[in-house]
Amino acid sequence: MKKIIALFTAAAMTLSFTGCGGGTSGETGTGGTASVGETLNLFVWTEYVPQSVIDDFTKETGIKVNVSTYSSNEDMLAKVKAESEGAFDIIQPSDYMVEQCINQGIVQEIDLSKIPNFSNIAESYKKPSYDPEGKYSVPYLGGVGGIAVNKKRITDEITSYADLFKPDYAGQLVVLDDFRPVIGIASESLGYDLNETDPKKLADVKEQVMKLKNNIKLYDSDSPKSALIAGECNLGFCWSAEIALANAENPDIEIVFPDEGAFLFLDNWCITSGSKNIEAAHKFIDYMCRPEVMQKVLEEFPYLCPNKAAVELMGEEYTSNPAKNPPAEVIEKGNYNTNLDNDTIAIYDEIWTELKK
Amino acid sequence: MTKQKFKSNTLPSLVMIGPVVLWLAFFIVIPLLYVAVMSFCGIDEQYNIVFRFTADNYKRLFNANYVQIYAQSLTIAALTTIICIVLAYPFSFFIARTLSKKKAILYMLVIIPFWTNSLIRIYGWRTFLGTNGWLNNRLLDFGLISSPIDFLFKPSATVLGMVYSLFPYMVLPLYTAIEKLDKSLLEASADLGAKGVSTFFRIILPLTASGIFSGSIMVFIPSLGYFFVSDILGGGNSDIIGNLIERQFQSGNNWPLGAALSMVLIIITLLLVKLYQKCGGDMESLGV
Repeated sequence: MKKIIALFTAAAMTLSFTGCGGGTSGETGTGGTASVGETLNLFVWTEYVPQSVIDDFTKETGIKVNVSTYSSNEDMLAKVKAESEGAFDIIQPSDYMVEQCINQGIVQEIDLSKIPNFSNIAESYKKPSYDPEGKYSVPYLGGVGGIAVNKKRITDEITSYADLFKPDYAGQLVVLDDFRPVIGIASESLGYDLNETDPKKLADVKEQVMKLKNNIKLYDSDSPKSALIAGECNLGFCWSAEIALANAENPDIEIVFPDEGAFLFLDNWCITSGSKNIEAAHKFIDYMCRPEVMQKVLEEFPYLCPNKAAVELMGEEYTSNPAKNPPAEVIEKGNYNTNLDNDTIAIYDEIWTELKK
Repeated sequence: MTKQKFKSNTLPSLVMIGPVVLWLAFFIVIPLLYVAVMSFCGIDEQYNIVFRFTADNYKRLFNANYVQIYAQSLTIAALTTIICIVLAYPFSFFIARTLSKKKAILYMLVIIPFWTNSLIRIYGWRTFLGTNGWLNNRLLDFGLISSPIDFLFKPSATVLGMVYSLFPYMVLPLYTAIEKLDKSLLEASADLGAKGVSTFFRIILPLTASGIFSGSIMVFIPSLGYFFVSDILGGGNSDIIGNLIERQFQSGNNWPLGAALSMVLIIITLLLVKLYQKCGGDMESLGV
């Protein structure tokens, strides 16, 4: 009897311990064993690349695709550096993180001659400031860190990030579990820079961030829409497409673009320098630049799309929805993250720790 | 010849113990040393670990925010342990005293849910307890409440998740201790005129204390580190030591600081195990 019990407990312990690591790691590291050209290891954002699109790629080319996901740029960087070289072939860093990856030497140049569909990308996205020669990255999707408001439950007019810091909204907010955007908007709400580095100003920012403490009910980067749809939270600071999807479920939930200028992001396809499946990686990126493929992506994850041919296919319903396709003036007025030095990161880290304690 | 060889115990013991020693060295000693060494390193602008001696990471451990989080984490762990004892003690008593056929069934009832991934089960609680979840909807249906209760995203929800995740680790040692309890002692106690309460406190409790100790160790230590519970059910509002470590190894990209924080956890664990031994705890019953 005792032996049986011990056995069950041992089994339970093993299972629950393996569960601990389950949060961030998907299937990884199979690249080394499979023969070259047959397997591709993707490391992408959660809720960003539809499985059906990946399955179609495998059907068409016979290349098997393993997908792992992450929910912040810094997590991605840490993981790529920790894994053995070539564990991931393709990653999806945002704007400032592309620059960081180039500086760290963890991405390689992309051969655009192997990506004929690159011509579908709008000119204005082709040589971004973070990759001035456009050698290392191919833009995928972008968007805004917008404000989600449940207009039925919140009757006040919300127009700015600063409004989120008001004491009236205790326990109402869901925000991204990502320190750069959250501290960035606190800084903007005070009229400072999204990427503030002045320690004196950061002291004010810290004070401002602490006002959020009482307002935030939940930190969720993976699927903030769930809390909004379930009515758990009535205000949110999250990715624009999440708000578009929440709006589709409950029309009371609308997007607001802040007066201060919105937090912007643009995610890119990059090939890791350790990739052993370079040909397949190029094939995949080219496939992801096809208008019909991007159309499928946009139907599931309606973000801002640099692929103008795909946008043409999407039609009125997509282009006129501000949460799906943020207006040009919002993008113009908005700001991107930039890389910070270690000392500033340490201050950000301390602010974040104090907020989350 | 062979006889002579075996006279000295070197070869057989090398064969028997060698693999275990190697296993321990590779998977426990070396990683632990690596963590200890890393905790004295710095990082460069590229977030790479630089092997130069610095005590900065340890200085940062005494940051007021960190200290508060340690305190909060210890409180959550202590609460979890106490609730587990209160729930598991009567339950284990009940199993230990039922017929052996039913015992297996009762035990299976505790264990079977644990064959599902713990993340999924924790997410299940989130669906169940949400303001729009099953429980709130039933309570509203029956008119017991007029507006949904906020169960989630508080430290209490974290404690609930911890208790739920760690309950079996309390049941096993308690069950073992209670089963060993000699029934004739209880009869003797009754014969000598002791009432139920006094029998419990003077006979049963002292004799099963070892089970309580080892169960507490097995619940307390993991509940300092189960960051996913505080993320999912606590909503990220009440960090525990596990969250601090996770953050430095992931989004913080500061492994040396993460290593120093891990050392805090390792030291707390060692102190607790030492205390457990001092109190006469049996190391074997921690091994499961």
